[in-house]
Amino acid sequence: MAFLDEYSEDLVRCMKCGNCMTTCPVYTVTGRETMLARGRIRLIKAAMEGQLELTDNLREALFTCLNCDACILTCPPGVPVNELVQAAKEALLKQGKPLSEAQERIRCGIVRESNPFDQPQAERGAWLPPDLREPKPAKVLLHAGCSISYASNRIGKAVIRILQKAGIDFTMLGDSEHCCGDPYVRMGDMEKAEALWALNKTAFDKYGVEVVVTPCAGCYSAFKHHYADRVKPMHVVELFAQLIDEGKLTFEKPFKKKVVYFDGCDIGRHSECYEEPRKVLAAIPGLELMDFPKNREESVCCGGPLLGSYPDYARSIAAERVREAQALGAETIAVACPTCLLNLKEGAQAAGLRMDIQDVTTIAVRAVGK
Amino acid sequence: MPRSEVSAEALDKIKNLVGPKHFLDSFEDRLCYSYDSTIEEAIPDAICFPESPEQIAQIMKWANEYLFPVIPRGSGTGLSGGSVPVQGGVVMVLSRLNRILEINEEDFYAIVEPGVITQTLNDEVDRRGLMYPPDPSSMMTSSIGGNVAENAGGLRGLKYGVTKDYIMGMEVVTPTGEIVQTGTRTVKAATGYNLTQLFVGSEGTLGIMTKITVKLIPPPEHKESVLAIFQEMGQAAQTVADIIKAGVVPATLEFLDHITINAVEDYKPTGLPRDAGAILLIETDGIKEAAIKEIGRVEEICARNGAIKVQKAGDEDERESIWTARRSALSALARVRPTTILEDATVPRSRIPEMVQGVQEIAGKYNIQIGNFGHAGDGNLHPTILTDERDKEEFARVEKAIEEIFDLALSLGGTLSGEHGIGSAKARFLEREVGTAGLVAMKRVKDALDPNGVLNPGKMFVD
Repeated sequence: MAFLDEYSEDLVRCMKCGNCMTTCPVYTVTGRETMLARGRIRLIKAAMEGQLELTDNLREALFTCLNCDACILTCPPGVPVNELVQAAKEALLKQGKPLSEAQERIRCGIVRESNPFDQPQAERGAWLPPDLREPKPAKVLLHAGCSISYASNRIGKAVIRILQKAGIDFTMLGDSEHCCGDPYVRMGDMEKAEALWALNKTAFDKYGVEVVVTPCAGCYSAFKHHYADRVKPMHVVELFAQLIDEGKLTFEKPFKKKVVYFDGCDIGRHSECYEEPRKVLAAIPGLELMDFPKNREESVCCGGPLLGSYPDYARSIAAERVREAQALGAETIAVACPTCLLNLKEGAQAAGLRMDIQDVTTIAVRAVGK
Repeated sequence: MPRSEVSAEALDKIKNLVGPKHFLDSFEDRLCYSYDSTIEEAIPDAICFPESPEQIAQIMKWANEYLFPVIPRGSGTGLSGGSVPVQGGVVMVLSRLNRILEINEEDFYAIVEPGVITQTLNDEVDRRGLMYPPDPSSMMTSSIGGNVAENAGGLRGLKYGVTKDYIMGMEVVTPTGEIVQTGTRTVKAATGYNLTQLFVGSEGTLGIMTKITVKLIPPPEHKESVLAIFQEMGQAAQTVADIIKAGVVPATLEFLDHITINAVEDYKPTGLPRDAGAILLIETDGIKEAAIKEIGRVEEICARNGAIKVQKAGDEDERESIWTARRSALSALARVRPTTILEDATVPRSRIPEMVQGVQEIAGKYNIQIGNFGHAGDGNLHPTILTDERDKEEFARVEKAIEEIFDLALSLGGTLSGEHGIGSAKARFLEREVGTAGLVAMKRVKDALDPNGVLNPGKMFVD
């Protein structure tokens, strides 16, 4: 992988001290050095120096990385592991190494139907009320995202109800909404990702969109990093927090539970949105807000990015988070990400743990009242 | 160094014994168990994760039958190459032996398996109002087995001692595959050879620990911290000597030199003066009144020796902020150049000024950068060489400088290693410290316990 030369110094900087063992969620459940920042760096270095072919094992080492960016928190020389893994994935693909079966399935789904689940694009907006299924010119666009369009409609419906109640004028793309491109980035296919970014920006232009608001943390992070030149990206909790400040959103019905908010990586470390979701939850009467032992920038990933490709690891990691919440005495885990929601639920179920797990938006909509 | 091929038959037997899930032999896996935290690397033939002393004993029997090296490994965070498979062979990772078997709150001991992470033990004993004092900087990740094998130190060495002072007994699998019990659960013991202490610091060359009995103590009820800034290193060194002379034994007495202070200010500014020659971080602990009285004396001594500033922590937040500079020392130095080599030459504390001065002269002579920080109270310095391993010419100068640092420490009545061990990194220098007769005596012990030389070969002795 000769064109990784620009990273040669970063690779040397790794002191192999192993501090990443304390923060890597995947290593915590596998105990394998190949699934630890220190090992991954060693393998990338070997591939770069020609000591290692572009093997399936190398690919596995790279694709079991959650890109959660936690290893850098305890890395003395601050090696940008996320960047290295990303560059290596891109290089792997460019040099003709095929994706794993699981990744290839996701790619085909997006190519065919513009969503990683390979569900029909023509039915993307089927869950929407007729007036929102057709786009119209508006400053604010609500982007549902693939997970919410095809799996977690409840989150989308909650957001629509809250926005309508607050009197926000917004539009949605309905059946013509596309994937944000984030899954392509994660598999290193930048060419396809860039094509999607352009496609989405064209649609935003067509309807005069200035603000794109989304309840999906993955889409939000993608917008923040790749669309900010064209639109102002917002996570719905940011908009909700703003509406609370303006007195346009108030909560009447109490939610009398101990709720621990989970900082997912895409909304948290990757986008640095920590206080707004807490502000929304704290505004709900009766709700007792708690924090995980490691929270905000130090939050530990739920394992969600691996749910499609390495579900056993993803669920084991999620179960750890659920156990932490139980130890706190929390009754509900609140998230602001459909991937965290699904994965934490899967993890709890697989490990036989009882826990109420909800999106901030669905807790909020119940508290809004009639 | 000779490299032995492990027969496929032996590897198959190990794989069947531990189970295929706990046996790795792909090239990628082998590459990822070729290192510790030094620059030493060597690729093993396979990696196994046994789950019991019996499995370990069986593997050692096969090692003697088929003649292949076995290299015990904890978390692989060592700083002397102790777990690097320099002659190939089978790396034996002890992470599955990770249970805390007993914490005895009446007799103040705990029995743990070697794969327990040191911080996990700390958290568990802390919950019961007890303390395991050794605190190597790696304790968040390093295993207790690795700490014992390397006789790890830490920040509290001056008052509380190091790992060896807290090991009461153990269960060990010998290189020939017998399971041996050593030591007792009693404070006093005068029975036979002190085998426990023979295995402490044996760097995985004499046996594989499978259970370790550690001594616990009640934690101090109160802590006081002071940060003192000095214009000259000599003033700081004199302060250290005067504190000890005054009968005060601080729990920690850390120092940062001029280069380290500047690296810290470049990395995460804490407002330290860039022209300062050294800073000292001093912590007293114990009964509240005593700790307060002692820190008072410390403040006086710092002032008397011309400290530019003496800052006492008023509360826990201030204590944290005082410690920020020390905590970020390694990270700060590690960002100066691509390669960071952390040494641990140690001298009697009265010789610290000469050692610090000497290290800087060596840095000048070879035109390399060396930051210095460490445990001033017990004379354990961390000369940290900032270099680039890709620059062969510079790296050759670095190697010469390291050798001179060792000689300097020895000439001052010190030691090659205060807390990292000899391993493969310093094996060729050991004779300079212990002499030929000393080395022969050690080798006889090794040969007696490991006649075929199968357990962690190439460490301590140059084969």
